[in-house]
Amino acid sequence: MLRTETMTHTDKTAGSQRYTFTAVKHYLWVALIYTVLIFILTASAATRQEYHLSALEYHVISFAVAIPTLLVWLAAFIGYAKVREYAWSVRKTPEGIYFDELAGGVTWLAWSLPVGTIIPTVLNAIANNHPAFHNASIILSNYLNLILALIAFSVIAGASRGLLGSVKMKLSLSSARFLIMGFLLLGVLYCFFTFRRLDLSSLGSADNPYFLPVWLMVISVIVPYLYAWFMGLLASFELTIFSRQVRGVLYRQPLAMLVGGLLTVIFSLVALQYIASVEPRVGHLVFNYKLALTLLFRLIGGGGFVLLALGANRLRKIEEV
Amino acid sequence: MVSGKASLYDKVVRVTNVYLGPAAERFIARQVENHLHKPPEQLSRTDLAGLIDWIRAAVSLLTEDNDIVEEYAAELQKLAGIKPNAEEP
Repeated sequence: MLRTETMTHTDKTAGSQRYTFTAVKHYLWVALIYTVLIFILTASAATRQEYHLSALEYHVISFAVAIPTLLVWLAAFIGYAKVREYAWSVRKTPEGIYFDELAGGVTWLAWSLPVGTIIPTVLNAIANNHPAFHNASIILSNYLNLILALIAFSVIAGASRGLLGSVKMKLSLSSARFLIMGFLLLGVLYCFFTFRRLDLSSLGSADNPYFLPVWLMVISVIVPYLYAWFMGLLASFELTIFSRQVRGVLYRQPLAMLVGGLLTVIFSLVALQYIASVEPRVGHLVFNYKLALTLLFRLIGGGGFVLLALGANRLRKIEEV
Repeated sequence: MVSGKASLYDKVVRVTNVYLGPAAERFIARQVENHLHKPPEQLSRTDLAGLIDWIRAAVSLLTEDNDIVEEYAAELQKLAGIKPNAEEP
């Protein structure tokens, strides 16, 4: 009987660890694809001209800039795999459904990093060869990142609401007020910076860095982004409340790590989307403060994914000892 | 609130809840099934001393804070009527 139980435990561990194996396998594929693309896609004439680079120098510098991003993707993929493993280990419990949903949201967040980078890289390369495609490549890249953020934050918000409800807690009035104030500040500043780049004298004018008429920009970019960020902030608040109020001193510690990691990831992604919206894409590599800030927030997000993975791993250990 | 009719298993889970929260019930069920080889509901007072040893070993893997481990074990020992920190025979 003991042998049967031991095997069951081994099977359980092996069953859950397949997520890490699969995630690392997927990571290796996306990292390889991105690296190959960096070296085979046409170098941007604008960047080469501006910095006096040969084609080879351009590719090598692009790869050097991509190294921190590749490391962050690795952290992200391991992070989502660890959350999935924990969700798998508690799948038959009352809160299991919400952790499964949370794992789904984290998976979307992790995949949004390579997908939101590789596809725009390809689109930019096409635009480099066919200048008429430049506007379309910027528009498509902006919408792609918006859609990924909307899905990921909405799924995580659904999970956080469920977790909070599972322990019969809800957002207090003071927390809700604080959240609304923070969101208003974020939203007003975002609108201020974005509108400065739009020609507000003509709502139909697409003569702006986003290549969209003002009315379409407001309806299909600004409002959805504000909604996505609100979902992200709301989820952050609810998960923080859940991790502080739930019972179990030994359960709260790893949960706080997981939630802290997720908050860091959400904060970094909101910051990256904010930067990308306020300082629009130009479709080629530019060495400026935007690139430095982008790399900084990507690394912060990577740190968040590491924290998330550690928290999830420790939570899973509780279910295995 | 613990009712007067709560089983020993329920009481152990209730104490564990303070330390392991939502994971408490499945943690205790796992310890009883895997180490005492009986259904959790059949946990008896005579099983408690052994169970506490297993729990102490398991929880030591989850935290390096020995105070928490000992505090938890002491709470369980109260249920068994064992004097906390009593010398092992």
